[in-house]
Amino acid sequence: MIVAAAGFLLLSRLVKVPSIVAYIIAGLALGPITRLLTVTEAIEIISEVGIVLLLFLVGLELSLDKIKRVGKSAIVIGLLQVVLTTLVGTVASLALGFDPTTAVFLALAMTFSSTVVVVKLLTEKGEFDSLYGRLSIGVLLVQDMVVVAMLTLMAGLDGGGLNVGNVSAGLLRAGGGMTLLMIVALLSARFILPRAFNWISASGEALFIWSLSWCFLFVVAAELLHISVELGAFIAGVSLAQLQFNQELRRRVHPLMNFFIAIFFTTLGVQMELGAAFGQLVPGLILSGFVLLVKPLVFFVVMPRLGFDSRTTFNTGVTLSQVSEFSFIFAALGVSAGFIDDTVLALISVIGLTTIAVSSYAMGFSGVVYEKLGGERLLKLLRASSGRPEAPRRHMHGHVIVIGMNSLGVHLVQELLGRGERVLAIDTDARKLAPLRCETLLGSIDHPSLVEDAELARAKLVVSALQIEDTNNLLAYRCRQLGVPCSIHAFDRSVVKELREIGANHLMIPKNIGVQRMMVALRERGLLDG
Amino acid sequence: MIGIAILLVAAAIAHGLARWLKLPAVPLLIVAGLIINGIGVMPERALLEDTLQLGLAFLVFAAGIELNPRRVGSQRAGAIRVGTAQFGVLFVIGYAAVWLLGSSVQEAIYLALALASSSTLLVVRLLQQRKQMFEPSGRLVLGVLLVQDLMLILLLPILTGLPNGVGEAARGFAGSAVLVIAAFASIRWVAPLLLVRLGLDEEGVLLVTLAFLFIFIGGGVWLGLPMIAGAFLAGVALSGFPVNGIVRGQLGPLSDFFLAVFFTALGGFIALPAPRDLLIVAVLVALVVLVTPVLVTVIAEASGLSARPAIESGLLLAQTSEFSLVTALQGLAIGHVREEVLTIVALVTMISMFLTPFIATNKMTWRLMSMHPMRKREPAREPPRDHVLLLGCGDNGMPLLETLLGTGREVVVVDDDPAVIKLLQEADITCIRGDGSDFEVLRRSGAQNAAMIISTMRRPRDSMHLLGRVRGVPVLVRVFDQADAEKIERRGGIPISYADAATEDFLHWLDQAESVGISNERRSRPRGA
Repeated sequence: MIVAAAGFLLLSRLVKVPSIVAYIIAGLALGPITRLLTVTEAIEIISEVGIVLLLFLVGLELSLDKIKRVGKSAIVIGLLQVVLTTLVGTVASLALGFDPTTAVFLALAMTFSSTVVVVKLLTEKGEFDSLYGRLSIGVLLVQDMVVVAMLTLMAGLDGGGLNVGNVSAGLLRAGGGMTLLMIVALLSARFILPRAFNWISASGEALFIWSLSWCFLFVVAAELLHISVELGAFIAGVSLAQLQFNQELRRRVHPLMNFFIAIFFTTLGVQMELGAAFGQLVPGLILSGFVLLVKPLVFFVVMPRLGFDSRTTFNTGVTLSQVSEFSFIFAALGVSAGFIDDTVLALISVIGLTTIAVSSYAMGFSGVVYEKLGGERLLKLLRASSGRPEAPRRHMHGHVIVIGMNSLGVHLVQELLGRGERVLAIDTDARKLAPLRCETLLGSIDHPSLVEDAELARAKLVVSALQIEDTNNLLAYRCRQLGVPCSIHAFDRSVVKELREIGANHLMIPKNIGVQRMMVALRERGLLDG
Repeated sequence: MIGIAILLVAAAIAHGLARWLKLPAVPLLIVAGLIINGIGVMPERALLEDTLQLGLAFLVFAAGIELNPRRVGSQRAGAIRVGTAQFGVLFVIGYAAVWLLGSSVQEAIYLALALASSSTLLVVRLLQQRKQMFEPSGRLVLGVLLVQDLMLILLLPILTGLPNGVGEAARGFAGSAVLVIAAFASIRWVAPLLLVRLGLDEEGVLLVTLAFLFIFIGGGVWLGLPMIAGAFLAGVALSGFPVNGIVRGQLGPLSDFFLAVFFTALGGFIALPAPRDLLIVAVLVALVVLVTPVLVTVIAEASGLSARPAIESGLLLAQTSEFSLVTALQGLAIGHVREEVLTIVALVTMISMFLTPFIATNKMTWRLMSMHPMRKREPAREPPRDHVLLLGCGDNGMPLLETLLGTGREVVVVDDDPAVIKLLQEADITCIRGDGSDFEVLRRSGAQNAAMIISTMRRPRDSMHLLGRVRGVPVLVRVFDQADAEKIERRGGIPISYADAATEDFLHWLDQAESVGISNERRSRPRGA
C-alpha cells in the first residue's frame, strides 16, 4: 500500500497534483479498481492514529494566545456558517427532490469541512501561521464541537423518539468532559509539564515518546468522556505548545504524522464503493458544485462584516470549501439508524471526494484564482471592506549560522557578534542556548525543516563546532549543494579526509592549533629554555 | 487506540526510568512490557503481533541504513576479522553449552545464533554518549557490529530453509544474494537518483524511503526470504552518503516510535521461564559476558590495535543483540522453536544489556589491562629523570616534539600507535609504547620525576587521572571543553584550551575569505603579533 502511495506521490510531484489527491487515487487504484487490498483493522487503527497525530500537531502549533486572538471570531463565524449552510443546503436538497429527512441529512453532511485536509494543505503551503490559517482551524474546531453535540443528539434519537433526558445528559457530559480536559491541560501546562519535560529533554527520543504518550492519554480520556479523540489530541497539543521544545517536537511528530496520514487518505480511496458511486454521479457533481460555490459564499458574507480583509476572507472560504471525510461516517450512521438509504451514502461519498480533490487544487492555486476571479471586485459587491492586510513575515539574509554550542561554538558566537555579524546559534540543548545574546534556534541540523527555518540557503556562512562526524558530513554536503561556504570542526584526524572530499571550505583542526598554542604557552612559561 | 496508548505510556515510563537511573532504555522497555503483561492490561494478541511485525521491520531497516562501511574507516580489516571470529566462536561454544544442557539440535542452533551478535542499538548509543565514535576502538566496534548483522541476516534464510531440505536452504541463499545485489545496485544508482536528484520535500523523502522498505520486503517474501532480510537490505540500499543523512531525519521519529512500541510489546510475549530454562539463561549470559571480551581483545590486538582500545572494544561488545530477538522471533514464527526459547533469548539480551554500561567502564578496562600478559614481558629498566615527558604524540605532535628536542632536554614520548613508535625509534628518540593513563607506563616513563609533562591525550579523563598520580610536576594538558579546563586546573594542571585557538584561526581565515565569495564588509581588526 505504501508502495502505491509512494509511486503515486512521485507521479503527483511531477504533475503538480496535490498529495492528498494522489493518495486517494492510489487508494482507488488499490481498492475498487484492482481489488488488491482490503482494509483490515490494523489499517483502520493506523488511519485513526493519523488523525490523532494531525490534531496533536495542530495543538502544538497553536499557543494559547494565538487561540485567544482568533477564538471569538472563529466561534461566531463557525456557528453562523454551520447554521447558514445547513439552511441553504436543506433548501437546495429539497429543490432537487429529496425528502425532508434526507435533505436535512445531506445539508448537515455538506456543512462540515475536513480538518485533515485543511491542516495538511495549510502545513504544505506553510501558511499555518497566517491569519486565515488560524481562523480556518478555529472554525474547524468549532465545527468539531458541533459534531460532538450532534452525535450525542443522534444517540439520543435512537429508536425514532426524542429522549430529552438522554440528550441533555449526553450534552452535559460532553460539555463537562471537554471542560474537564481543558482544565487538566491548562493546569498541567502551568505546573507539571515544564519541569517534567525539561528533565527528560536530555534524550530527544525520550522527549518524543513522552509527548506521544501524553497525547494518547488525552485521547483515551476523550474516548471515555465521549468527546471526539481529535479534540483530546488537540488539547494535549495545546498544553505542550508553550514549552520551548515545541518546535523540536513538531519536527519529530511531523514525519510520523505524514506516514499515518498517507495511509489514511489511501484508505479513504480504498473504501469507496465505486459501483454505487457511478450511479450517483450526476446529482453528486451538481451538489459538489453547489458546495464549492456556496460554502465559500457564506464566509464571504459573514467575515467582512467582522472586519477581515478580502484576501483573508477569500482564502478562508476556499480553504473550508470541501466536505469532511467525517461525512462518510455520519452518513453510515444515518443508514444504520434508518434515516437515509444506501444511495444517499454513495452520493455523499461522491460529493466528499470531489470537493476534497477540487479544494486541494483550489488551495494550491488560491493566489491565482483570487486574481482571476477579480477577487477584489467580487468581494466589494458583497460589501466587503478592504481591511488591513497582514504584515509579511521577516526573513533572514546574510547571517552567519553557528551550530553546536560547546566551548568552541560559544567562543565563535561571541567573536562574531563582536565583529558586528548577525549570528544564528543552533543547538539541541535549550540550556546551552539560553545565555546567548544572539538569535537562536533549537533543534538538530539533521532535520530538513530546521535547515529551512535557519534559512541556510540565504546565510553568508555556516560554521559547525559539532563533534559529530555524520552530522558534520551531511552539513558540509548540504552547504556545498546550496553554495554556502562552510567551516567545519574537524575534531579528529580521522574525519579530515572525508570532509575535504565533500568539499568543506575550511576545516578547524584544533589539535593542530592546540599544539601551536601549547608551544606558545611553553615559551611563555620559560619552560623551553635551557 | 487504548492498546497503543498503553504501550506508549509504558514506554514513556521506561524512558523516564532509564534517564533517572542512567541505564540503557531498551532492556527497561522490555521490563515495562513484562510488567503491564503481569498486571493484565496488555492489549490483545493481534495488535501486539502487528506491532511486533511492523516494529521489527523498522528496527532492522534502521540498522541497515547505518551500515555504512565508510564509518569504519581504517579499521575495516580488523573489524571483519573480529566480527567473524566472535560470531563463529560464540556460536560454537554457545551451541555446545546449550546442547549439553539438553536442548534439541534446532533450538540449540537458534540459541547459539542469538548469542553470536552484539547489540547495534545499545553500543552505538553508548559510543555517541561517550563521544567515542571516531576513536579507533569506536570504529572497530562499529565495523564488528555491521559484520555480525550482515552475517546473521544472510544466514537466517538458510537456517529457516534448512529443515525443509538443502534445496530449500540453497534457494534461500540464492534469494538473499539476489536481494543483496539489488541493494548494492540501489546504493550506487537508484537511491541517489530518487532521493538526491529529484530534490523532494520532506513528505516525498519519507514516502520514497518507506517505498524502498516495502518493495524490498515484498521482493524478499516473493523470493522466499523472511521479511527481516528484505527490511535489512532495504536499509542497506539507503546507506550510501548522502542518502542516509537525508533519510535519517525523516525516518528517525518513525524509528523511535516503532522501536519503543516494539520492545514494550515484546515484554508481553515473554512468559515466566522454567527452572531449566533459567539455567540456560545464566550459562548464556556468563558466556557472553566472559568469553566475548577476551576473544575480541585477543583478535583486535592481533589486528594491530593496541591493548587499551582492544580491551575497550571487547567490553563494549559483551551483550546479545536485538537481532538475537529477531532470530528467536523468526524461529518462533515458523515453528522451529517453542515460545520458551524466545523468553530465554529475551532474558539473556535484557540482562546482558543491563550489565554492559557497568562492564564497559574505564575502571574495568584498567583492571583488565593490569592482567594483560604483555606487561610482564617488558624488561625492567631504570626510569628516566628530569626529562620532558610527552604523552600522546601522533602526527599532530611532531612539530611540538621537534621544538622540544631543540631545547636540548631529554624527551621521552609515550604513544600507543605502533606506527608512531616505529618512527620515533628510527629517529632514536626514547619512547614507550603504551597508554598514557596506565600506571605501569607512567612509572616506566618516570612521570613522577619528570621536569615537565605535556599531555595531548584524547580523553580529558585520562589527563585528570594522570594529575591524580603525579605531584610537583608541571603538567600541561590540551583541552577542548571549558568545563574540562576548570576541572584540570582544580587538580593542579595547566590547561591549554584549544577552543579559542581554533576560534582565532577561524577568524583569521574569515578575514582572508574574500576569494570564497564572502563579502566581508567590516574592516578586520589589526591582529596582534
